[in-house]
Amino acid sequence: MVLSDRGFAGVKSHDVFRLMVDSVVDYAIFVLDPTGVVVSWNLGAERLKGYKPKEIIGKHFSIFYTPADLANDKPGHEIRGAAELGRFEDEGWRVRKDGSRFWANVILTRILDEHGTLIGFGKITRDLTDRHQSEFRYRLLVEGVVDYAIYSMDVHGNVGSWNLGAERMKRYKADEIEGKHFSIFYTEEDRKKGLPERILRTAVETGHFEGEGWRVRKDGSRFWASVVVTPLRDDVGNLYGFSKVTRDISERKALQDAIQQHADELELRVQEREQSNAELEAFAYSVSHDLRAPLRAIGGFAEALRQDYDSHLDDGGRDYLKEIVAAVARMNTLVQDLLDYGRVSRIDISLGPVNLLEAVNDAVRQLGDERRGSLRVDVAPDLRVQAQQQVLTQMIFNLLSNAFKFHSRNSAPEVRLSAQPKNGAVRLTVRDNGIGIAPQHQQRIWQVFERLHDRESYPGTGIGLAIVHRAVERMQGNRGVESEVGKGSTFWVELPRAPENSKETNHE
Amino acid sequence: MSEAPVLLVEDDPADVRLIQRAFGKLDKNVPMIRLTNGDDAVAYLSGLAPYDNRGAYPIPSVVLLDIKLPRRSGFEVLEWVRRQQSALKRLPIVILSSSRHSVDINRAFDLGANSYLAKPESISQLDELASQFQAYWLGLNEPPDLHGEPWTGRPPGIHHV
Repeated sequence: MVLSDRGFAGVKSHDVFRLMVDSVVDYAIFVLDPTGVVVSWNLGAERLKGYKPKEIIGKHFSIFYTPADLANDKPGHEIRGAAELGRFEDEGWRVRKDGSRFWANVILTRILDEHGTLIGFGKITRDLTDRHQSEFRYRLLVEGVVDYAIYSMDVHGNVGSWNLGAERMKRYKADEIEGKHFSIFYTEEDRKKGLPERILRTAVETGHFEGEGWRVRKDGSRFWASVVVTPLRDDVGNLYGFSKVTRDISERKALQDAIQQHADELELRVQEREQSNAELEAFAYSVSHDLRAPLRAIGGFAEALRQDYDSHLDDGGRDYLKEIVAAVARMNTLVQDLLDYGRVSRIDISLGPVNLLEAVNDAVRQLGDERRGSLRVDVAPDLRVQAQQQVLTQMIFNLLSNAFKFHSRNSAPEVRLSAQPKNGAVRLTVRDNGIGIAPQHQQRIWQVFERLHDRESYPGTGIGLAIVHRAVERMQGNRGVESEVGKGSTFWVELPRAPENSKETNHE
Repeated sequence: MSEAPVLLVEDDPADVRLIQRAFGKLDKNVPMIRLTNGDDAVAYLSGLAPYDNRGAYPIPSVVLLDIKLPRRSGFEVLEWVRRQQSALKRLPIVILSSSRHSVDINRAFDLGANSYLAKPESISQLDELASQFQAYWLGLNEPPDLHGEPWTGRPPGIHHV
């Protein structure tokens, strides 16, 4: 500092300066001789440390230090540092006259005369207890956190501070790990791949790194970690280190893995089911193809025999041939019915709104002309059910065939098909004037291959109603029969009604 | 040159006999060559041994092709024919299968079948089939040239050099 010789108000300039220093109260400013003995003492020093000038001048400044610092000869260290380097700065606990402590920021400056000879030290001390307290509380907070490993690193990635959470998670004590490179926490593979360096680079370049991965504890065991690395920069933006927050999310990872595993297993099972469905499909295909080929041969040659060698046959021979041809026809029907039953059971049913009358008309078209003549249909054209068109048509056809088949020998068959909305459903009713079903048989008829009559009276495979039963089941409906022997039967099925405004599907 | 035969590719000997019987009852003789599997069909059409004598094994006028065949299915034979670069790819192919599955029917047409016939249940229907087949495929239908060059996209007779 350069002072004007004039000073002001007649006071000499160096006196002005001395007065200013003396009156500063927020900083302790005092001078030590080259050995550390106090030679001047300002008001700030008095306030801060509690000594009057006359109490302290002539005493060695080590009086301000804690016993621990004295044991380490910190005062001597500071003086030597300042003498050597010109300046020494430190922060730490200092002791007041009354024994209380305060957190001090200390700057010790070497004073040389014009010949370069050391004549003493200027010392400026500031009370930073308040700031230190808040930093301290913050540090306590960080250090006390046990669920997160929080630690700092220098620019190279060497560990600095180390909290309790880090100690628990990684099993290193602070003094074991401080100064070690943080790559020690990584797996061999990750280290080889240069992951730790890449993380720091990413943090520097993008201001942030976030990731998950395996980390290694001191004992070599691994845990799945969620990691956030943030670069630390000073006021002017120079990088001076990194903070790293690590969370052990092994449990979450295990849970995720378990869920993933379940999902994989489920996927596998779906695949297996799709595969077994495809196998069934292939099976049904070969049944329809391979089982029928020999049938066609039996029937074909039986008929060829009848046509080409008729003159060689008597009535008995012709009768046998007729039996063969009839058996072949029956077998053909059986194969067809089994295929239908299998398809209804197996087919991927996706339910959608289907116009009931259209399905009824499709089914009626498959009936013979004769039967069509004795059928009355009473279905409103706007009734729609949740169903699958193909399956619904098959089901209606089977109900109608069944109604026509079991008619009484004494009267012509009359069948009536009607439909009524009923709550959220639609009830489809098929009423016949046939032979009826005794109550004890009314459940059995829905089972596959169940027949109540001999083949000569009523031919059939015993699969028709089983298909109805299975179709209703697959379309989430209900079915039933009301019947009395000799008075005909009323079969009904109920299917969910399609929601209004829904778009019709299933038309192929 | 004698009339080109119908090539019947069918592995079921019973079906073959019944088909031959039905064709045999027709007024006009229909020459028929029978093969039992898809590989043989491809070898025949390629003119590979033992079918390398075109005099004895001429290019057929129509193929009656079953789907389910040993070694190479009817679909594969069909695909192979349509893939040829020569005029052979025009060869009329009629599928004759016991399958009435729409999957099979659609696939056959997708692959370029000219017709799809289901094997009838009775021999009287088979007789009818033979008679109609002859009338249509060997009568009404105008046969393509199976020996020339395939169409190149240029109008015939106009060649720029």
